[in-house]
Amino acid sequence: MRYILALVAAAFVAILNVSVMPYVEILGVAPDLVLIFAASWTVVRGDEEGAIVVPVAGFMRDLATSDPLGTSALALAPVVLLAAAARLRAMDTEFVPTVAVVASGSLAYGIISMTVLAATGQTVLLSDSVSRVVLPACLVNAVFTPLVYLPIHTLSAQRRSGAIGTRRLTSPL
Amino acid sequence: MRLIWWLATVVVVSLLGIVLSQNRALDPVQNLSLTVSAPAASGLRDAARPVDDLFQGITDRGDIVRENRDLREQIEELQQALAERQDAEQRAAELEEALGFKQGRPEDQLLAANVVAEDTSGLKRMIAIDRGLNDGVDEGMVILSRGGNLVGTVSRAYEDFAWVRLITDPDSAVNAQVVPGPSPAQGAATGGQVTPSPAPSPAPSPGVASPAPTPAPTPAPEANAAVRGVAEGDLRRGLLLDLLPPDSTLAEGSLVTTSGLGGNYPRALLIGSVEAVEQRPQSPFTRATLKAAVNLSALDTVLVLISFRPARLTEQ
Repeated sequence: MRYILALVAAAFVAILNVSVMPYVEILGVAPDLVLIFAASWTVVRGDEEGAIVVPVAGFMRDLATSDPLGTSALALAPVVLLAAAARLRAMDTEFVPTVAVVASGSLAYGIISMTVLAATGQTVLLSDSVSRVVLPACLVNAVFTPLVYLPIHTLSAQRRSGAIGTRRLTSPL
Repeated sequence: MRLIWWLATVVVVSLLGIVLSQNRALDPVQNLSLTVSAPAASGLRDAARPVDDLFQGITDRGDIVRENRDLREQIEELQQALAERQDAEQRAAELEEALGFKQGRPEDQLLAANVVAEDTSGLKRMIAIDRGLNDGVDEGMVILSRGGNLVGTVSRAYEDFAWVRLITDPDSAVNAQVVPGPSPAQGAATGGQVTPSPAPSPAPSPGVASPAPTPAPTPAPEANAAVRGVAEGDLRRGLLLDLLPPDSTLAEGSLVTTSGLGGNYPRALLIGSVEAVEQRPQSPFTRATLKAAVNLSALDTVLVLISFRPARLTEQ
């Protein structure tokens, strides 16, 4: 059930990404809701779910864009590794690691996307792409993280509460 | 260890997907996904328009932005008309010299298409339209704005949808020319923005009586000749006009249209206007930054020029 929910959510976020997000352009880039969704889901709900949800979200993203199918799944893969690394350092909050994973994941995503685009014969100007797209995207995606993180955290808190009962819930932030 | 296996699996599956996509084996899947998502995406785009207005300013500014957009469209149409007129004048002059030459451009047949999605990766400038192979759209076809100005070309066509590469995409290159004649920004007083350097006059031979100096013949056709270059997309500046002759002098505001060279675009489609000229001493070419005639970030409806067969398609 949780994976079906993740699939529907990923599809919705992918559609939002190509329909609404172009209107929300900051520093010349639009926030990547799919990346934020994948990172938030993995940090909040664990690597096991992230290992399924991240590639699914990637494929959903590619189905909605002009990228070759598989580009985003590949480019989002580091998110799971970064989330696993973030979990090694115990913190009371999940928000800060999520922001860190979103920012670093955006960097990894940009580099892998550029590599795939270059490998498939498309023009990629390294300096312009990094300075105009990849680095601003790290910042913009980090700023937009709460938009996706909070619903996922709330949903997960309710799920944990139902499953475990009286376990103390942490603040979303 | 589990993560390493997972990563290896994702990499292999993704690479397989990329290879299959490049070989067009997954086109039906992508067409199906666009078919399913397009209605929702279109609805969300419509619903998000007020968000767009809100995001660009404070409440009331939405009306101003809308009005501004309408005015820009009007300017776009007027610029296109002006570019066509200037081009027609130039054509008439050429035709006077070459009688019998027949202009072979048939009546344009246009197909309206809605923009259903935009690529937001930032590394590309693409839009998706709701017309595809079933509607007669093919890869390489030219896409125009409602005002008739150049927007881009179809880069990938599925059965019912197509992805359009905008002229600002880094992979876009259009043979272009700076339209000679007065530009709207400079007015008729400035005139001839394009000033090719005159050809050096031959030195008089020794012993030969040189005739009395006569006024230099008016280099009418040459002075009025269009300067040609290539309009390329650029992530930083949006649109560049590169590969211009080093001695060309361009005025800001000069109109730039397609030159028709190469056969991939019809002649005299307005691309934009010169915004800034960059003279580079080390470079054999002059370069200019262009301002696109079309507001490419606010496209809702575009026109597919189906009557024009690009050279690439004609050769097939």
